[in-house]
Amino acid sequence: MGAAAQAIVPGIYAWAVTVAPAVLDLRWDRGSVAVWAHGTSVVAKLAAVMAPFWLAAGPFAERRWDARGRVLSLWGFVLSCALAWSAAPTTVGPLRVDALRGVAGMMGWALFALAAAAPALHRSQDDERIVQEAPLVPRKGQSKRGDSAYLAGGALLAALLQGVGWHVAGAERALLVRFVALAGGLAVIAATTELALARHVRRVPRSRARRLRSAMAALVALALLGLTGVIFGLR
Amino acid sequence: MQLVDVLAIALVVVAAVALFFGESALARAEDLQALYWLIVGVVSLRAAVQVARPGAKA
Repeated sequence: MGAAAQAIVPGIYAWAVTVAPAVLDLRWDRGSVAVWAHGTSVVAKLAAVMAPFWLAAGPFAERRWDARGRVLSLWGFVLSCALAWSAAPTTVGPLRVDALRGVAGMMGWALFALAAAAPALHRSQDDERIVQEAPLVPRKGQSKRGDSAYLAGGALLAALLQGVGWHVAGAERALLVRFVALAGGLAVIAATTELALARHVRRVPRSRARRLRSAMAALVALALLGLTGVIFGLR
Repeated sequence: MQLVDVLAIALVVVAAVALFFGESALARAEDLQALYWLIVGVVSLRAAVQVARPGAKA
């Protein structure tokens, strides 16, 4: 991974917390979706849209022109952001900058500067290994693609859980819902990871019966809970 | 893929649905329902992991 590529994520974050709020304002307006903040000039819109493209083009430019490509991408991004911000209607007046957003933006740009200036990270497969033995090879019929499907499914379920409770009135309850949603999402991801890992462990004959027996307590508890729910639901 | 693997996946999906209902009930301030669904979700996840865990050492 090159230096331009590793600067993309902090760059997008810095753009999202400083430039995007000054130019974009997603809302329903008389049955149609309004995207731009009221009174945004064409220059600001164009510069705000172009900025992430400069970032995205960085790795390709770096591969083709080396350091010159990286510098071009970096300055293109920074100047586009500066132009969008200065031309935006809710511009840089100190009283208009929210304190929390200001701190987040400062951290975002500091991270971006650090990532853009840091030397490129090179992946070495040997450095990542912590055991001396030969790498494990997936067993026949158990591909990495299967593991990815398990993890992607878990991540999708966890993401769906985050869609609940964004319009709760009280702050305490809203925080509680967010906490429960995060905990639930993490638990689902952990469970799907366990399921994916379990596929790679050698199984003995009649393991199915043994596995069902070991899960019997949880299954019985689940059945009892289901029965309780049906009974209370019918009352 | 064995039958128990399918059962484990189904249990994880059931758990996710139960957690979803639990969060929705929590957001509506229906705490008893929320508690019920969250317990169902946690027990389903536990059952899924127990079912998927193999019966022998590697």
